[in-house]
Amino acid sequence: MSDDTSTGEETAAQPETLSRTERLEQEGDIAADYLEELLDIADLDGDLDMDVEGDRAAVSIVGADLSQLVGRNGEVLEALQELTRLAVYRETGERSRLMLDISGYRAARREALEKLAAETAAMVKESGEPVALDPMSPFERKVVHDAIAEAGLKSESEGVEPRRHVVVLPA
Amino acid sequence: MLTDALEHLVRGIVDHPDDVTVRDKQLRRGSILEVRVHPEDLGKVIGRGGRTATAIRTVIGALAGKNGARVDFVDVDRRR
Repeated sequence: MSDDTSTGEETAAQPETLSRTERLEQEGDIAADYLEELLDIADLDGDLDMDVEGDRAAVSIVGADLSQLVGRNGEVLEALQELTRLAVYRETGERSRLMLDISGYRAARREALEKLAAETAAMVKESGEPVALDPMSPFERKVVHDAIAEAGLKSESEGVEPRRHVVVLPA
Repeated sequence: MLTDALEHLVRGIVDHPDDVTVRDKQLRRGSILEVRVHPEDLGKVIGRGGRTATAIRTVIGALAGKNGARVDFVDVDRRR
């Protein structure tokens, strides 16, 4: 049948767009180049690790002492992530949601926040009263919202940056 | 080192990386790092609500250590 030719054409055609995973891996590579050169210039030792976590590219830098790149409350880490996303955007033309971690800061922070969320959820369930948490970065609020949802409660963000914070609501 | 780091950070996010230059201007009250970019890129390095400029200053400030560093953004058309 004449329609059969379409199959041949599809296999012959070059894939114009990369698969999702390939795109995220490409994001990780661009980010790693940008960060590696910065470490080089600043004479800082660090190993880069690239991964794809869910629907995001993830890059982590592990090194002897990179605390200056994390900063107080992770503010330098957030700034560096922002710039890295822009560097990826410049190359790909696509907005990036890449996650950067340095010396396991985010991983440790996530663990502490999940614990806080679980404790707060238990408190709210018992009292039936909403509880407002301290101001947090967008990343931190996301971790808390997810953990609260997991505990079967709802939460909202209130206030404006840099005072934006999570409020845990009773069921 | 700061000059190179700043130049690298900015070059990576603009459309005209070859037009990026950083000058360490010595003033009586400390130094200031002056970043010159292509006029079309000035908005890009400043960002929405100054967000990108703040991020650049935060990273450079962290690398500068306790003495800190001042960073100023201008476009190449401005007279020296």
